[in-house]
Amino acid sequence: MLRLRGLTKRFGGLVAVNEVSLEVREGEIFAVIGPNGAGKSTLLNLICGLLRPDAGSLEFQGRDLTQAPPEVRAWHGLGRAFQIVQPFPEMSVRENLLVGALFGKPRTPMSKAKKVVEEVLELTGLAPKAETPAHELTLLEDKRLELARALCTQPRLLLLDEVMAGLRPAEAMEAVELIRKIRASGVTVLFIEHLMPVVRALADRVVVMDYGQVIAQGVYDEVAANPRVREAYLGRSA
Amino acid sequence: MILAGVLLLLALILPALPLGSWQAFALDTAQFAFLLSGLALSWDLLARTGQLSLAHGAFFGLGAYTAALTAPLIGTLPSLLAGAAVAAVGSFLLGLATLRLHGMYFAIATLAFSEVMRTFVLKAGFTGGSIGMIVAPPFDGRFPLGGYYLAVTVLGLCVLVSYLVSRSRFSYAMAAIRQGEPVARVLGVPVVRVKLLAFLLSSALAGLAGGVYGMKTLFLSPYDAFSLGRAVEALVIPIFGGLYTTTGPLVGGLLLVSLETWLRLRIGEGYLVVYGVLLILAILFLPRGLVGWLSRRRGGGHA
Repeated sequence: MLRLRGLTKRFGGLVAVNEVSLEVREGEIFAVIGPNGAGKSTLLNLICGLLRPDAGSLEFQGRDLTQAPPEVRAWHGLGRAFQIVQPFPEMSVRENLLVGALFGKPRTPMSKAKKVVEEVLELTGLAPKAETPAHELTLLEDKRLELARALCTQPRLLLLDEVMAGLRPAEAMEAVELIRKIRASGVTVLFIEHLMPVVRALADRVVVMDYGQVIAQGVYDEVAANPRVREAYLGRSA
Repeated sequence: MILAGVLLLLALILPALPLGSWQAFALDTAQFAFLLSGLALSWDLLARTGQLSLAHGAFFGLGAYTAALTAPLIGTLPSLLAGAAVAAVGSFLLGLATLRLHGMYFAIATLAFSEVMRTFVLKAGFTGGSIGMIVAPPFDGRFPLGGYYLAVTVLGLCVLVSYLVSRSRFSYAMAAIRQGEPVARVLGVPVVRVKLLAFLLSSALAGLAGGVYGMKTLFLSPYDAFSLGRAVEALVIPIFGGLYTTTGPLVGGLLLVSLETWLRLRIGEGYLVVYGVLLILAILFLPRGLVGWLSRRRGGGHA
């Protein structure tokens, strides 16, 4: 579904993402893990189009989208929730979602968009907060809004950047259930996560990044047993 | 919107009111207030995308000069449309150049644009340069109230466009761009298209108001038509009245022009000091403008 080949991004002398090649298959939940500064969020920015790669290519559902701007990628079915929540602060929850529903696919009629918003409000449990201004939400609600808004664009592939960070374990488990529901509705999920229990519970496959490179990939237990991965997490001298 | 309708109706019957010796003065002040409110509404339209323009004085001036120069050749109404078109072309070029700029940088670029435009009109031969140019009254002066009703029409058009835009899907795109452009793009909002469209609509309306202004003053000079003061008024009015609304710039414009005129009559010399102090107080104590203040007093509501 999504195929990256040799994707590279440099910031000055730093190679934030270094020749990353990977493939996400339709219908799976795919995790990207790695220590802080490994280049995970940069990779997500390259996939959703906020950054352009210095080298390499990106193919999504058979189309080369390497040079496509973010809005075009959204229209093709790439949805993205940010790590640092960025709601439109002056809008209500419902209006936030409506932006995603109206513009996620070109020429979506208002009536259809409103229907999508209602469904997503129900699915994510945000319905009681629909009229609340986004700047009044708690962190947990903000995270839900971030996820809900991305869902409203009706993505084929949903990119989630640490949507669990800052949540209590019970809340994180709720979010895990939600992501399972999203996958069950036919959406492929690629997520970045620090909480290993969440990765273990959700991911069909895991990619580990360190210093901008993919150092391991496979199912969770395989990857967790990999000596290079242990080294990356525990430190080189260990 | 009901308020806007009432105000426009009042504007239509104002010439019929028995104001005696005040009538000419009242109509003149009202006409100026309408054009300035129209300009403020057009500025607000662009501001909804988060772009704070200092070029609206220039769009106004471009419209004024274009209409004044073409009116003898093609007639009043076509010349006004030509003025709007030239302002729109100017804004399109400016828009293409400033698409990636934000906040302060965008404002400075628009300021530079208006200085370039003023210098051009100052140096070009066919505009009369610094001496200025005489402008023919609308419809060859056949209708004494022609200019007045043109101003009412332009204001009505600005109110209508502003209102329709705020009711459309376009307004969600604009607000999303203003409140978080990268997020808006990731959600599929066609940012470039929306920004350019806002630019075109906004500047065309500003140019239209400028064209009628020239036909009202009957004289244009680069210092007046491209004055930075007018660009500042175009943004002060919506800020005072209530940003991103239709009622805000409309009521704000009518009130501020009336206030300014009244102060000038009562105080004369130095009236702008009082005007400035009142503005500062308003902005300090009404952070969301008149409209925001009123809707909060009525207990929330849409602002």
